[in-house]
Amino acid sequence: MSTLNWKIAGRAGEGIAVTGMIFAKTCMRHGMHCFTYGEYPSLIRGGHNTMQVSASHDPISCQQRAVHIMIALNDEAIAQHLDEFSDATVHIIDKKATKIDWETHAPKGRVLDLPMHTISLETTGSTLAENMVALGASCAVLCLDLSVLYSIIEEAFVKKGSDVIEKNKQAAQKGFEYAKEQSFACLSTLPVFAKPQVLLTGNEVIGLAALSAGIQFYAAYPMTPASSLLEYLAKAQDTYPLVVKHAEDEISAINQAIGASFAGARAMVGTSGGGFALMVEGVSLAGITELPLVVMEGQRPGPATGLPTWTCQADLEFVLHAGHGEFPKIVVAPGDITESFFTTRLAFEVAETFHTQVYILGDKFLLESAQSVPRFQDTWTNTRSGFAPENLPENNIFQRYAYTENGVSPRSVPGQPHGLYLANSYEHDEHGYATEDSTTTQKMVEKRLKKLEALQPLLPKPLLLGPEKADLTFVCWGSTKLVLEEVARQANAVQPKSVNVIHIQTLMPFHTKEFQALAHNASRLIMVEGNATRQCERLIYAHTGIVMQDRINKYDGRPFYAEDVLTWIDHHKGIA
Amino acid sequence: MIPILTNDTTLHTPIFPTWCPGCGDFGIWGAIKKALTELQIPEEKLVIVFDIGCSGNMADFLRVYGFHSLHGRAVPIAEGIKMANHGLKVLVIGGDGGIYGEGMGHFIAACRGNHDITLLVHNNQTYGLTKGQASPTTTKGVKTGSTPQGLIESPVNPITLALSAHAGWIGRSYAGNIPFTTELIKKAMTHEGFALLDVFQPCVTFNKLNTHLWFQEHVYTLDSVGYVPNDQNKAWQIARDDDQLAVGVFWDNAQQVPYHKQVPQLKQGPLVGQLASSVNISSLQNDVS
Repeated sequence: MSTLNWKIAGRAGEGIAVTGMIFAKTCMRHGMHCFTYGEYPSLIRGGHNTMQVSASHDPISCQQRAVHIMIALNDEAIAQHLDEFSDATVHIIDKKATKIDWETHAPKGRVLDLPMHTISLETTGSTLAENMVALGASCAVLCLDLSVLYSIIEEAFVKKGSDVIEKNKQAAQKGFEYAKEQSFACLSTLPVFAKPQVLLTGNEVIGLAALSAGIQFYAAYPMTPASSLLEYLAKAQDTYPLVVKHAEDEISAINQAIGASFAGARAMVGTSGGGFALMVEGVSLAGITELPLVVMEGQRPGPATGLPTWTCQADLEFVLHAGHGEFPKIVVAPGDITESFFTTRLAFEVAETFHTQVYILGDKFLLESAQSVPRFQDTWTNTRSGFAPENLPENNIFQRYAYTENGVSPRSVPGQPHGLYLANSYEHDEHGYATEDSTTTQKMVEKRLKKLEALQPLLPKPLLLGPEKADLTFVCWGSTKLVLEEVARQANAVQPKSVNVIHIQTLMPFHTKEFQALAHNASRLIMVEGNATRQCERLIYAHTGIVMQDRINKYDGRPFYAEDVLTWIDHHKGIA
Repeated sequence: MIPILTNDTTLHTPIFPTWCPGCGDFGIWGAIKKALTELQIPEEKLVIVFDIGCSGNMADFLRVYGFHSLHGRAVPIAEGIKMANHGLKVLVIGGDGGIYGEGMGHFIAACRGNHDITLLVHNNQTYGLTKGQASPTTTKGVKTGSTPQGLIESPVNPITLALSAHAGWIGRSYAGNIPFTTELIKKAMTHEGFALLDVFQPCVTFNKLNTHLWFQEHVYTLDSVGYVPNDQNKAWQIARDDDQLAVGVFWDNAQQVPYHKQVPQLKQGPLVGQLASSVNISSLQNDVS
């Protein structure tokens, strides 16, 4: 099989996510590309949790529906996934320890009845290593090299000592051997290709990129799916010159970040839609005071508390329009892990250079799924920009908000002699003092908005993926890129030049001409986005006048699946 | 280079206050200028964050590194400034509406965090700038534009709230006594850690109950009764008295370590000076490879 698709399902608290990441790493260390996708409800114990890993020597960018191995830790693991199984599926279950109503469900595929419970007890003296037994057996079934799994176990348990490591390795080994004895094992072992790859979730890569960009201050209030970014950065405080503040609420978080930015620090906040709703008055404040700020908004379905642990792309218009009054804002939605890295770095640079705010619009699918990508370079240099000269004239006429050609005025920071000014939430003159004068007001509004023109060339342009000319052109933004890339790969493998994709990463300011050029080359445009009200489709129309021929919208909390889009293509063949 | 120290001239702006004649804000403004002159802070090392309201309008009347923020949000702005550059002196100026109403959560969190900022509250027991509605410190039963049938809520007690939220320094003054207020501002600003200075500020236009005359009849100094600010129970008891209003220092705990001194990353110096011009992310990448 060219792509292997492995899944584990059980209750929360059974180590589902960790087991998945160990398996994904095992695949990655064989030189494969991999993608992990997890589903879980908003609770701590129980519920139905899944983690799946798709891996292949060919590029892979999203989860697949057809499961090759299902490690079923409870009845729901079978009952809720019946349509994902085929005759090729191997169910790894511990019949003695797990109650599964096998006859009623009658799933397709074969069963490897693996005594995970007993083996774990025998090898480690506890039941905690059951997942290791399953991982060992998985390696056997999927032709993976057990020694690769061993090395990952060694790293994962390094803090727990050699005894724990040995016992866990034994548990894995027993699982591997058991599968072999039951004739489930692969006859050959896949070769191991050393490839410099890293396996990162969206939140991890945004955190990593922020650190590489010299982030100095991050404030947040925990909220899925942004909490793991808060924790990633909080942990980095031991090693990097960064202060992370878990504030009393999101209002405080954004105001603290604005204060830190005023004082000269590179500042960022992160949240989800509900938390961002609280931050919005701060958005406007950062706008009028012209202070740099990076905001990560991780979308999850609303309204209100909505579906806390699921995904959507329904906050686009909210983020585009957030903040009363008119002021420049940049909204970018990276489409994958690599884009997330470079876009986050860019966000810090643009924010600081142009004294503006940059939004990284993510979603649960991108932020909590992990993708293997080529390792990034290890050292990064950062230079400061957008500041006034260090030595300011002593005449005390410093104008923080001086009118300039591109709208960017010199920025002093507290502590700098002769740079005194007032950052003012009221409309103000060049010094920052409040004004209600009509001419000044108009000039200040224009000065701030002018910055968009100057910075737009720096932002990622719409991207064409796949062949230059194709029968169908799908249009997407943000994380849907992951799925449509897979669609294009699979569709074009069957029928060359059948599908290409326009991926929009920069939503504001909109690259009108660049999008028009790509769209005019398309025969049939189909919008694919994760919301019900066609938010990006209408944005495109507003900026370009371009009308989509068709559209696929999803708003059930689940990400798109490549299979669904491929089925859509099949159904729409010949309907031009 | 000889640093320019704060004084009446450095603090001067071309804009004259827009407060009503006789407003308590004039007294506080004068006391602030006097205190800053006596504290002799290099002018670039001082930041004043202003809330929104009559008190916050002082932003235009003091030439400093200033931040005229949003209603209720001056405290988190100040915390952010202090965390980013703890070499700065940070003073917050707000009113009872912004600090004890809209920003109440931030006020409590700032006490708990012991951020090294001074919070000076112009407490006039009314909303002046929006023309006289009830504020969090308005006396129960008072009829105002927003409470024509009389205010139902009981007033907030800033002193006891700050005490229970672990504020390190708590004081109260009366705007009519400028020398006394000056001394308290100086004490609050030299206290290392969070300091609340609540100042009774008569609003001559909208508060017809708590007037200058009324305060002069109800206010006494803590010194006059020999109170030493190290007794939390006594402080609590005195602060609970709504009739005879004590002014002075209620609580002074010099032992409490300020927030920035408990952050290991800040031991090497202010955050702003630590921008990583060259960053190595290899070990973070090794963890996920």
